[in-house]
Amino acid sequence: MKRRSLLKLGIASGVVLAVAGGSLALLKPGLLADGKLSPAARQLMRAVALAVFDGLLPAEAAAREARLAAHLDQLDANIAGFPPHLRGELSQLLSLLTSSGGRLALTGLTSDWAAASVADVQASLQAMSLSSLGLNQQIYHALRDLSSLVFFSNAASWQLVGYPGPREIP
Amino acid sequence: MSSIVDPIKEGLARGWKVLGGKHGPLPTSLDCDVVIVGSGAGAGITAELLAKAGLKIAIVEEGPLKSSSDFRQLEADAYAQLYQEGGGRKTADQAMPVLQGRCVGGSTTVNWAGAFRTPEETLNYWVDIYGLKECGAEAMKPWFEQVEARLNISEWLTDPNANNSVLRRGALKLGIKAPTIHRNVKGCWNLGSCGLGCPTNAKQSMLVTTIPTALDLGATLMVQTRADKLELKGNQISGLLCQPVHADGSHAGPAFRITAKHYVVAGGAINSPALMMRSGLPNPNDLLGRRTFLHPTVASSAVMPEPVQGWAGAPLAVFSDHFLRTQPIDGAIGYKLETAPVHPGFAMTNLGGMGRTLVDKAKTFPHTSILIGLLRDGFHPEAGGGVVELKSDGSPVLDYPINGYLLDGARRAHLSMVEIQFAAGAKSVRPAHEQAQDYQSWHQAREAILALPYEPYITTIGSAHVMGGCAMAATPAQGVVQPDGQHWQVANLSVHDGSVFPTSIGANPQLTVYAQAARMATGLAKRLTERDVRLDSPAVPASAASAA
Repeated sequence: MKRRSLLKLGIASGVVLAVAGGSLALLKPGLLADGKLSPAARQLMRAVALAVFDGLLPAEAAAREARLAAHLDQLDANIAGFPPHLRGELSQLLSLLTSSGGRLALTGLTSDWAAASVADVQASLQAMSLSSLGLNQQIYHALRDLSSLVFFSNAASWQLVGYPGPREIP
Repeated sequence: MSSIVDPIKEGLARGWKVLGGKHGPLPTSLDCDVVIVGSGAGAGITAELLAKAGLKIAIVEEGPLKSSSDFRQLEADAYAQLYQEGGGRKTADQAMPVLQGRCVGGSTTVNWAGAFRTPEETLNYWVDIYGLKECGAEAMKPWFEQVEARLNISEWLTDPNANNSVLRRGALKLGIKAPTIHRNVKGCWNLGSCGLGCPTNAKQSMLVTTIPTALDLGATLMVQTRADKLELKGNQISGLLCQPVHADGSHAGPAFRITAKHYVVAGGAINSPALMMRSGLPNPNDLLGRRTFLHPTVASSAVMPEPVQGWAGAPLAVFSDHFLRTQPIDGAIGYKLETAPVHPGFAMTNLGGMGRTLVDKAKTFPHTSILIGLLRDGFHPEAGGGVVELKSDGSPVLDYPINGYLLDGARRAHLSMVEIQFAAGAKSVRPAHEQAQDYQSWHQAREAILALPYEPYITTIGSAHVMGGCAMAATPAQGVVQPDGQHWQVANLSVHDGSVFPTSIGANPQLTVYAQAARMATGLAKRLTERDVRLDSPAVPASAASAA
């Protein structure tokens, strides 16, 4: 029962207990005061997007960067709509994942998010998705599901899936 | 500019009393006959009936007032604006997303319009186990009929879309019945956007039916207003403390107090118990917030030879109760089979995967069919549901453990759905499970599914039906509220929403909430005013009612 009582504290609390102990106060929040992704968290979510949407992003560098920038802005907009407690939990999670110790302990990635290769991030996400630890599963779904919902809800992705968009109402 | 007339804009123009958010400042205090917490299925029905009885009503809704001119059929808008926690509500261990409405009309504004009467075996179980003789099938029949007349609920006669045709075709081939659903729609355009808010006002949700009727009869609607705490004095509620909130739920102004003769809690089966827990209401048998059910739901996607375009057309048109009806209600868990809309954000997220898997899914997306299996929880000791708990900031979270009993049902539901999809001609099928692959034949899929580990997280499970937590029962030992919705220990408090169900119901719950709320609110109106009111009788204006 110990595992469940740890997990039911929620994403961030579970992560904090598992990794950070009392040092959380030393970490930078993952979300800025205005609720937007911190520069480090933006790098993290960019790396996640490159891994999750590998093969679906524009091949040409400038177009790919523009699509990624739009995706990250849309993530900011979505997160801004979350209730404060959810934003708080996400901020703590991103904070841990952007610290080198937290990243290594939770994702196994040795290089930081900006430097990690697509293959490395994919392998890390894949390992978390199949982990027997609920904590790793929670982190995988938090990163992957949030990214996916934002990416595919955006009209810029509809062509990729052959969705014509909503039927027009005259 | 759309040709669709917006009934909310029209109502506001003719002077509806709507406050909060952009509609004007909230009062510093308010006194009324009855305050209703929530504006969804239970709240809407209650509001109309009590307003028809001539009572001065106030409705408190935490979400915004959005209507047809705001509904643009866009996932990017809808989840963030119309759903609890910006669409991000999950169970405590994050293993199950929970879709629940948070807007005027509640979940009725965003549901997929399936309207089922409560299955008879569920009602029989409630009579037998919980002493709810008022809920027997015969006793409930007139209430279903009344609600169905009010909300235009009838069989869906339009051809099912291609996604629903997969369920029908495959099921019939296997000798399984797959009848047509009843829906609460009037002049439906068959757009397929039910889950994103109906832009044509065809769905007869509370947003376009009972809430407007109550407002026309003089009710006050407070939006972006959180019901924070009921104040208890002796065995009576003496006031409701409310908190104005921004769209994201953060504080938007000073708290204020509503006083009323009677208080109806109808905020849905997570928020209603949470409000009562925050308020420290008596809970002598430790039942409050316990036995909260979800119809844990699993999915299977198939690539069909024909274009499916599962985003278009009524998302629910066909269903099968075969796997509910052919086994005992309290044995191995049964499941109802339905379909899910195939919108890009919803489907590509919930079907899982990344990289190569997503590229393949994207390519075949227009040919993708999705079936879902809804597990009937609450009838077996191993399906006791979850527990609503409060976080340190007072917000609720549902702790719902996924155990082996449920996971066995998930595996069997996957097997049933995959067999149906292949019977319907699928080229490949993939159950929503992190370790599943695309299977090319029923034989291959069956072997693989029997070998897959069924564990939380890797088995994709979600929910859109939250029920229970404030069970009604004939004795206080078994229930939080009495069979008429009245709280067992608090004199002027009733609960009128899906939280009163003592089990899940094994069907999409909206019509059950409507019918139970109609029964309870009609009785409450009679107790408070001596008047007989009905949903299917014309509304008498407040001025005429008070003169009567």
